[in-house]
Amino acid sequence: MFKLKTLINKELKRFFTDRRMLSTLLLPGVFIYILYTVIGNVGASVGEVDDSYIYQVSVVNFPEELSFIHDQFESPLDVQFLTSENDDRIQDVEERTLDLYIVFEADFYANMVAYDIASGLPAPHVEIFYNSAAEESGAIYQYYTGMLNAFERQISNKFDINRSVEVSYNQATAADFSRQFVTGLVPFLLMIFLFSGSQAIAVESIAGEKERNTMGTLLATPTSRSQIALGKIIALSITALVSASSSFLGVMLSLPQLVGDDSFTLAIYGLETYLLLFVIIVTTVLIFVVLLSLISAYAKSIKEAATLAAPLMIVIYLVGVTSLFGTSQTNLWFYLIPIYNSVQSLTAVFDLSISIPQLTFTILSNLTLLGIGVYLLTLAFDSEKMMFNK
Amino acid sequence: MIEVKNLRKTFKLSKKQQKLEKTKTKLKVAVDDLSFSVNKGEIYGLLGPNGAGKTTTLRIMASLIKADSGDAFIDGISVKENPGQVRSKIGFLTSELKLDDFFTPNYLFDYFGRLHGVDEKTLAERKIKLFDQFGIEPFKEVKVADLSTGMKQKVSLVISIIHDPQVIIFDEPTNGLDILTAKTVTDFLLTLKKEEKTIILSTHIFELVEKLCDRVGIIIYGQMRLSESVEDLLKVDRLENVFFKLFEEGMTSHV
Repeated sequence: MFKLKTLINKELKRFFTDRRMLSTLLLPGVFIYILYTVIGNVGASVGEVDDSYIYQVSVVNFPEELSFIHDQFESPLDVQFLTSENDDRIQDVEERTLDLYIVFEADFYANMVAYDIASGLPAPHVEIFYNSAAEESGAIYQYYTGMLNAFERQISNKFDINRSVEVSYNQATAADFSRQFVTGLVPFLLMIFLFSGSQAIAVESIAGEKERNTMGTLLATPTSRSQIALGKIIALSITALVSASSSFLGVMLSLPQLVGDDSFTLAIYGLETYLLLFVIIVTTVLIFVVLLSLISAYAKSIKEAATLAAPLMIVIYLVGVTSLFGTSQTNLWFYLIPIYNSVQSLTAVFDLSISIPQLTFTILSNLTLLGIGVYLLTLAFDSEKMMFNK
Repeated sequence: MIEVKNLRKTFKLSKKQQKLEKTKTKLKVAVDDLSFSVNKGEIYGLLGPNGAGKTTTLRIMASLIKADSGDAFIDGISVKENPGQVRSKIGFLTSELKLDDFFTPNYLFDYFGRLHGVDEKTLAERKIKLFDQFGIEPFKEVKVADLSTGMKQKVSLVISIIHDPQVIIFDEPTNGLDILTAKTVTDFLLTLKKEEKTIILSTHIFELVEKLCDRVGIIIYGQMRLSESVEDLLKVDRLENVFFKLFEEGMTSHV
C-alpha cells in the first residue's frame, strides 16, 4: 500500500508541479469557456443592426393597401416610391447604397384579389432585390418577406392555429428547455474531454517512460507489476479527472452565453445530479485510462501510441454522438456495454431519468473492464517484448 | 553468491533486422548455454565485444527479461521462480536505463528508496552518506535534465544501491564517463568489495578488469569461452592477448 502511494504521488507530482503539463491540463477549460462565449456572442450579434439606422427602400408600383408593412416597421425607414422600373436601383443594392429594391407588377393588389388558383395562370408577382452580405439589407428583406407571406396567408385564411398572442401555447418551461439542450450536447462533449484528457497523460506516462528508458529503472525495483499498473491507473485517472473537470466547468459556465437565451438556466440540477455525474465520470475515466495505458504499453513511442489511439478515439466520438438524440436507452442490457453505457448514463442523468439498475449496470460493467484492464497491464509490464523491444 | 546455470536466450528477428544482419534465420541466439558463478566478496568481470550477450545476461539476472531455458540464482533464490525477491536483493545499473529528467536527485532517491522498502530513517542516513561520497549534495535539487552526464551516472549508481544490496550488477558502469567520474566509480567498486559485496560487472575495458576483478568471464557470440582467476590469467599472458585469441577462435567456430 505504501509503495502504491509512492507511485501515485510521483505521477501526480510529475503532472501537477510541471507548469507546462499543468497548463496542458487546465487551459482547455479556459479556452473552451472563451471560445463558446465568443461563439455565443458572435451568433447573437449576427444580423443585428443599429437601432438608429435609416433603411433605404425603393418600391415600384406600391399598392397602398399594403402600406401597413411600412407603418409597422419599428426602425426609421426612408421609402422612395417609383412608378416605373429602374435597373440602376439593382446596382445600388449591390453597392449597398440602397437596402431593398421592390418591384410589384402593375395593378398588383387588384390582380391578387381577382386571382383564381384554379385558373392555372401565374400568380401576381413581386420581385425583391437585396444584398445578403449587408446586415441591414438582409434584415429588412427578412422583415418584408415575412410581412408579405403573413399577408398572403391571411387573405386565403381558412382556419387559425394558436391565434391568441396572449396565451403561451408551448408548455415547455425554461427548465425543460435548458435540460433538453444540456442532455443533447453535454454528454457528447464530456466524452470528448474525458478521452482527450486521458489520452495526453496516459501516453506521456507510459509510452513516454518507455521512450525515455525510465520504465526499465522502475521495473528493476522489487515493486510488483500489479502495483505499478494500479499506481499508474489511479494517478492518471486523478489527473484526467482534473483535466476533464476544467473542460466541464468551461462548458457549463459558457453554456448560457452559447445558447444566448435568458431563460436558459443550470439551476435545474441539484447536488444529487452532480454526484451521479461524478460517479459515472470516474468510472468512464478509469476505462479510458486503462484502454489508453494498454495501447501505450504496446507502443514503442509516444508518437506510435498517439497513432494507435486514433481508432479508439473515433469509436468514442461515434458512440458519443448517440447522446445527440437527446434520449437515453431504456433497454437495461445496453448498460453493460462499456463506453456506450457511459454515454447513455450521462444522457439519462442530465435528463433526470436515470434509474438505479441503469447506474448499477454501468458501474459494474466498467469496474469489471477496469479489473481486466489492470490484469492485462500487469502482464504488459511483465512482458519484455512490450517493455524493452525497440 | 551468484550462480548462473545453462542460460539460453534467443530473440526473434524482424524482417528489417534480418536484412540488417544479412541473415535468413528468424532467431538470434543472444546467450547460448551460459554458466558461471561468483563467490561472495568477489568482483567478477564479464568481458566481451558489443553484441556478445553481456547485457542480455545481466538483464536476465536482474529479472528484467526471461531466459528461454536455464536459470540464475542470487543467494540461492531463483530468478525464474522469484523475480520480485531477486530484485530486492540486487543493485542493478545499466546505461540503458535512465532517470526521469523532470525530477531532482533528492526526490528520486526518496522515491526509489521507498519502492525498495527502505525505512525513512535509513533512507535519510544513506542519502547523506552516498550524496556526500559522490559529490551529489550541491546538485541534489537540480533536475536530472540539467545535470552533466557524469553526475547523472553518479546519481544512477547511488540510486541502484539505495537499499544496500548484497549483490551488485553493473553493466558497463564507466561507459561514456570522463576519467574523474570513472575513477570515482572504480574506487567505489573497490570500497564495496571491502564490504564483502558480490559484484558482477560487464565491460570491454581490459584495464578495468585487470584492476578490479578477481575473476573474469569472456563471452563471445553468447558463449562463455573462459572463466578464470584474473591473477592466474595474467601470469600466462596479458588479458588483451588472451581475449583476442579467444575472439579469433570464436569467430572461426561461429562462421
